[in-house]
Amino acid sequence: MAATSTASALPAPAAGFKALIALVGVGFAAALYRFWVGLGASTNLSDSVPWGLWVAVDVLSGVALAAGGFGITAAVYIFNMKKYKSIARPAILTAWIGYTVVVIGLVIDIGKPLAFWHPLVMWNPRSVMFEVVVCITLYSAVLALEFAPAFLERFKLTGLQKFLKLFTFPLVIAGIVLSFLHQSSLGGFFLIMPHKVPALWWSSNLPYMFYLSAIALGLAMVSFESIVSARAFKREQEMEIIQGLGRGVLITLGLYFAFKVGDLAYRGALSQVFSSGKASVFFILEMLIGVIVPIGLYAVKSIRESVNGLFLAACCVIVGTVMNRFNVNFFAQAGPNSNYFPSIVEILITIGLVSLMVLLYRLAVTYLPVFHEPGKSH
Amino acid sequence: MATNNEKAKGVLVDLTRCIGCRGCQVACKSWNERKTGKTTIEGNFTNPKQLNSDTFTRIAFIEQDNGAQPVWSFVKDQCMHCQDPACLSACPVGAFTRTPEGAVNYTFEKCIGCRYCMVACPFNIPKYEWESTNPWIRKCTFCSDRIADGKIPACIKVCPTNVMLFGNREDIMKEAEKRMKDSPGKYVNHIYGKEEAGGTSWVYLSAVPFDQLGFNTKIPAQKLPDLTWNMLGTIPAKVGALVVGLSLIAAFRNRGANNDDDSSESKQGKEK
Amino acid sequence: MTNHWIDFKNADVVLVMGANPASNHPISMKWVMRAKEKGAKLIVVDPRFTQTASKADLYAPMRSGTDIAFLGGMIKYILDNNLYYKDYVINYTNAAYLVNPDYKGPTDLNGLFSGYDEKGRKYDKKTWGYQMGEDGIPKKDPTLKDPHCVFQLMKKHYSRYTLDKVSSITGTPKDKLEAVYKLYGSTGRPNKAGTELYAMGWTQHTVGTQNIRAMCIVQLLLGNIGIAGGGINAMRGESNVQGSTDHGILFHILPGYNPTPSASVKDLNTYIEKFTPKTKDPKSVNWWSNRNKYITSYLKAIYGKAATKENDFGYAWLPKIDEGQNASWLMLFDKMFKGQFEGFFAWGQNPACSGANSNKTRAALAKLKWMVNVNLFDNETGEFWKGPGVNPKDIQTEVFMLPCVSSIEKEGSLSNSGRWAQWRYKAIEPLGQSKPDAEIMNELFHKIRDLYKKEGGKFPAPIMNLTWNYGKHINAHDVAKEINGYYLEDVYDTKATPPKLIGKKGDLVPSFVFLQADGKTSCGCWIYSQSYTQKEGKIINMMARRGKEDPTGLGLYSGWAWAWPVNRRIIYNRASVDVNGNPLDPKRPLLRWDANKEDPVSKKPGMWVGDVPDGPAPPMAKDPGKYPFIMMSDGKGALFVPAAMNEGPFPEHYEALECPLEENLLSKQRINPTVKIFGEKEDAFYSCDMRYPYVATTYRVTEHWQTGVMTRHTPWLLEMQPQSFVEMSKELAAEKNIKNGDRVKVKSGRGEISAVAVVTSRFKPFRIGGQTVHQVGMPWCYGWQYPVKGSQGDSANLLTPTVGDANTMIPETKAFMVNVEKA
Ligand SMILES: Nc1nc2c(c(=O)[nH]1)N[C@H]1C(S)=C(S)[C@@H](COP(=O)(O)OP(=O)(O)OC[C@H]3O[C@@H](n4cnc5c(=O)[nH]c(N)nc54)[C@H](O)[C@@H]3O)O[C@H]1N2
Ligand SMILES: Nc1nc2c(c(=O)[nH]1)N[C@H]1C(S)=C(S)[C@@H](COP(=O)(O)OP(=O)(O)OC[C@H]3O[C@@H](n4cnc5c(=O)[nH]c(N)nc54)[C@H](O)[C@@H]3O)O[C@H]1N2
Ligand code: SF4
Ligand code: SF4
Ligand code: SF4
Ligand code: SF4
Ligand code: SF4
Ligand SMILES: [Mo]
Repeated sequence: MAATSTASALPAPAAGFKALIALVGVGFAAALYRFWVGLGASTNLSDSVPWGLWVAVDVLSGVALAAGGFGITAAVYIFNMKKYKSIARPAILTAWIGYTVVVIGLVIDIGKPLAFWHPLVMWNPRSVMFEVVVCITLYSAVLALEFAPAFLERFKLTGLQKFLKLFTFPLVIAGIVLSFLHQSSLGGFFLIMPHKVPALWWSSNLPYMFYLSAIALGLAMVSFESIVSARAFKREQEMEIIQGLGRGVLITLGLYFAFKVGDLAYRGALSQVFSSGKASVFFILEMLIGVIVPIGLYAVKSIRESVNGLFLAACCVIVGTVMNRFNVNFFAQAGPNSNYFPSIVEILITIGLVSLMVLLYRLAVTYLPVFHEPGKSH
Repeated sequence: MATNNEKAKGVLVDLTRCIGCRGCQVACKSWNERKTGKTTIEGNFTNPKQLNSDTFTRIAFIEQDNGAQPVWSFVKDQCMHCQDPACLSACPVGAFTRTPEGAVNYTFEKCIGCRYCMVACPFNIPKYEWESTNPWIRKCTFCSDRIADGKIPACIKVCPTNVMLFGNREDIMKEAEKRMKDSPGKYVNHIYGKEEAGGTSWVYLSAVPFDQLGFNTKIPAQKLPDLTWNMLGTIPAKVGALVVGLSLIAAFRNRGANNDDDSSESKQGKEK
Repeated sequence: MTNHWIDFKNADVVLVMGANPASNHPISMKWVMRAKEKGAKLIVVDPRFTQTASKADLYAPMRSGTDIAFLGGMIKYILDNNLYYKDYVINYTNAAYLVNPDYKGPTDLNGLFSGYDEKGRKYDKKTWGYQMGEDGIPKKDPTLKDPHCVFQLMKKHYSRYTLDKVSSITGTPKDKLEAVYKLYGSTGRPNKAGTELYAMGWTQHTVGTQNIRAMCIVQLLLGNIGIAGGGINAMRGESNVQGSTDHGILFHILPGYNPTPSASVKDLNTYIEKFTPKTKDPKSVNWWSNRNKYITSYLKAIYGKAATKENDFGYAWLPKIDEGQNASWLMLFDKMFKGQFEGFFAWGQNPACSGANSNKTRAALAKLKWMVNVNLFDNETGEFWKGPGVNPKDIQTEVFMLPCVSSIEKEGSLSNSGRWAQWRYKAIEPLGQSKPDAEIMNELFHKIRDLYKKEGGKFPAPIMNLTWNYGKHINAHDVAKEINGYYLEDVYDTKATPPKLIGKKGDLVPSFVFLQADGKTSCGCWIYSQSYTQKEGKIINMMARRGKEDPTGLGLYSGWAWAWPVNRRIIYNRASVDVNGNPLDPKRPLLRWDANKEDPVSKKPGMWVGDVPDGPAPPMAKDPGKYPFIMMSDGKGALFVPAAMNEGPFPEHYEALECPLEENLLSKQRINPTVKIFGEKEDAFYSCDMRYPYVATTYRVTEHWQTGVMTRHTPWLLEMQPQSFVEMSKELAAEKNIKNGDRVKVKSGRGEISAVAVVTSRFKPFRIGGQTVHQVGMPWCYGWQYPVKGSQGDSANLLTPTVGDANTMIPETKAFMVNVEKA
């Protein structure tokens, strides 16, 4: 039986697992505190920096990290790249968990958590935020349906499973379209403040930048997970897949880099790369870590062929892209006297949310047929 | 979306007339029943240092040392009541509305507290009740309740030196231009708010360059919501194109084989 | 004010010197800005660059306490450059009068005038008089050439005030001085008006009165008195301080500026004789010749039926001061400090913070047996017994608090600086057990009278005979009518045949013109007569009028409220026309003599149109024409003051009691030779003392009212001005290693306060007599009580000295010496 065999392959709950639970618990307590006292007392957010760690990590980065979901499904179902099929489900799982946690993060972050449902009934179609919320909601539903087979399989609800299969394509297409829309729209948030976001980032192409970098990040994230879970579960590394992902990241990063440089040049902002003070430092770091170094790494054959090399490159992309989201978010707000560093509550909640992601992931891969396609288990 | 009808009101703030008495600051607090916070003197009389959820307008005391004689300016801040407000377009739930008079107002009942309006506003106006567990976004209301009552805004009413002129936006723009023409050299050649962010209901005249008084002079003349609308407006087309494109690619890439192992399973079934 | 608030808009040049109206009289700036919009120029002279200065076309800094030097230089400049308005000076001022040849001035006597008595610190003013002609009128030289004429004496007096000299005293750069002189001097033409706005920046000095006198000379030379857009305008302080001075709150005057009698002025006749100025000049109206009517009507108002011709209308019951006694603020607290009072009513004041030299004041309160604090709030005065450094156990004073209501909780009149009495109404009900002041007085009075009735007493008559018929609750209208005055009997015009009835018994008198010296009328304050009047049987509260018509376009608004005297909006307005009654400035005609119209009262041809004139008599050149300055016995504007001033007929620069200079750069006389020097060790003062090297001044902020009792508890205001600060130049701060926002200590010879440093380019070091002198300044609106028990700073009056102006005794809180150190 697939399920039991998967389960038996897992290690018993270890110290790491308990630590995860503890972190989630602490995060939960911190969240309760935040609801109890309000944002002012629990966070270091202020009128000068209304969007802090949670928006930068839990929302902007969280959504981008989950971009692997639509990347892989597109590869598998649209481009018919069969070899990635085995990681489609983990990718979808990652995305689904990611979005769930993003939504939890959002509810914690908004001032009136009980009003979280308002955008679904009070529409402002001119708002990017509205569009993002709607897309995220719909996409979460799509992901749920895309991941549903794992449950159905686990509980042997084959009839339903069959019925769902009829919708595979529409769902995949819907997922890709929705992802495209909101991944890019996260960049679209900042379009309205051209005078606040430094020219190093602000461009009317910002949405496309966000989209491209999200793809790179999503793929990097999937390879990161593959490598990590293979290690954790002591499975063999699926070199072909992670190398393929690496190629995907390389291509996307190449495109992104070209696009970025072209865009800067087109807007005449190239000179500002070195002349924007603090912003320059952060920009250069972000580009180095997230784009230039990984391109270099992927370009070297020996690195490309080693798990560690690929892992390192993926980490760079992840860190660099998260930095990018941080930078855009903070430089968009930072007034002259804003001095923001997240409060302990903010940090604990963010750690809690990340831990929750890992925990859910581990639980899912433990109890659900995530890594083993049904056909192949026999 | 800018509704520049004949009802649209405007205020001309002529900074050269302000004596820094802060009557407006108190009047605003009084009319809007706002609380206060703890402040200190930090070598300058501006207090509170920034607008906040209890301070919708504030006089900034700005001192410039020009060698022989200082220049001391008093600068009133409040919501500019943009003609095409970024806050309004940014808000996911439509908590902001613009009245025919041009006041940009907020509905607490709708708001979810996402604070996008704060980030989106080019003038950093909306403020948040950080200490509350059921917080409001707060900002100058243009005293719409007074205007609806046929009164002028409280801050304007108390001002001893007529710093602010309330009227139809068209008329106050004309007056601004007239003052510039009548006193050549008195003002810098810029009506702040005439074009910023696509035009605001409150506009300023000054003798000191605006950027030296804390005004953001980098705000483009564009209606800012257009920037996001350029993107949002194309969504239907993009969705259409993507759906068609993706379907075609999928059909092409999956031609022959019935594309996945679900079908291979069924194939198997058939084979059986 | 000679003029009024709205009139500022008529000026061509506005000189603000000795005040900061943008902060302290914001509404006044409405009219100043109005003038500016029409092209007027604003000059500000202040030790620091103020909010008002920020609006100025010309700003000149000046070391505190040197205004006379500054203005003396202006007088010299005006004379040297022939900027004065010659016709006006000859016709309307005493410039041509010949002074006693024995008169000597500071030019001859090294800073003193003739007649100085060093021991008594006072002058024998004998030599300051005029040379009298045979007709009993002062001799004149209309050519202004005679060396003894006022004009020539003035010229000689100010010849020492050269630009260089003035600049080295005031610290004002020479080019600024000249620019101010030139611009202000430009108003010496008939079609130009210059106004001067001052307040405490001028008065709170040992030479305060002479500061204002110096400006009077400037204004008279330039022909700026009596005209629209001109005048000398004291922007007054406490909301109704004008009203309270009018009604005799000061120790030396009774209501209506009748002098308080001293013990030696034995009866009413002596009083009238002594205080009625005389002139033989038929062209002088000499309005004070009506003194007998005003004092008698006053006595009738307060003693009613008990006041009869036989008992001198109760004159004997009037309280008297001792001969030469000075019962002003500083003297009272000095006596209190010396334990010479048992009790004290602190009625609507906060001396623990407002009185100069607070440590002494606070110590004085502790010497009392009892104190009654009548106030809206508990304040530092009421709480002195638990103030900083005070052990309540050591204090024997019994303190009572009587809560009273605020101005908006009661009805009554209020007089503003423009002499407009406006009626206002109760807006809200009083809180708790608080009562209007008048109710408290009413109860007190009844209690005291009952006690007299029961127990007798030393001198019951003044209390027993007082007409106090307001009943249990005082009605403000009754008081207002009593102030206006009644006909107590039918009054006839005896000159007419048959005698014509002028006023009916029981009616309100129409104006002070109808007051009688024989006890047939009563009037609580003659200048307010007409404020609550009766026309054709109808009783009219003139103060409640709200007419918005302004036919002259000059902003007189004669139908709005009521101005004393007789609704005149600009006093001395007869000086706004030439000797034939034609407006000096046809663009701003305040008055015009229309020879073709018939005077409705006298039925004679010719009458004034415009504002209410200073008397109906025809202009000077007509017959029987009169001089314009009707309140002066000689009818002339006084460039030279023969008797009224204690320290001399011309203002002379003296240094403040505490100053940074070893020597007055102008003469051997460093300080005002006639100020009273207090002798206790608490009164110590320190000039040129290394320990207190910086000039200091105190001032107000918009956000706080006075000692802050009413504003420190108002969060909206406190938020804007939360704590005490001391402003200083960047140069001084650098010298003392003080940074903006640092906490510093400010120390004087008498006390010490803690404050936040505001380092600013609005204060600049002065070059005085070749050396650098720094000045600092601070507000005095804080006290230990609130906010947060003292942490926000205490009153700046802990630093100020016990010394006052030589005439008024107003404390010198605008110029003294301190040190500043980082805390
Ligand atoms: N907001 C507010 N308004 C008030 C009051 C208040 O407490 N708060 N108080 C009221 C009262 S009672 C009064 S009397 C008035 C007072 O009104 P002002 O006289 O205007 O009051 P101050 O601020 O004490 O002083 C005015 C200016 O005098 C300057 N000064 C100091 N020394 C000298 C000097 O030697 N020469 C000259 N030329 N200037 C000097 C100071 O720098 C200051 O700017 O204000 C009234 N208005
Ligand atoms: N260093 C320095 N000292 C100064 C000055 C300065 O410039 N520098 N200025 C001086 C001047 S000009 C003045 S006028 C004095 C002011 O000195 P004060 O008059 O002693 O000071 P205030 O704080 O005005 O006190 C008035 C009190 O009256 C109370 N009050 C308000 N309304 C009513 C009412 O209707 N009835 C009664 N009974 N009480 C009421 C208020 O609560 C307040 O406590 O200070 C002088 N002191
Ligand atoms: S100033 Fe800001 S808050 Fe006000 S209307 Fe414009 S965008 Fe909205
Ligand atoms: S905080 Fe409220 S008003 Fe502002 S954008 Fe969000 S929902 Fe709208
Ligand atoms: S218009 Fe009204 S709400 Fe806005 S600043 Fe003025 S008083 Fe305040
Ligand atoms: S009320 Fe008028 S003069 Fe006073 S600070 Fe406000 S804008 Fe300036
Ligand atoms: S506070 Fe009152 S009295 Fe003073 S300027 Fe303002 S309105 Fe006039
Ligand atoms: Mo005063």
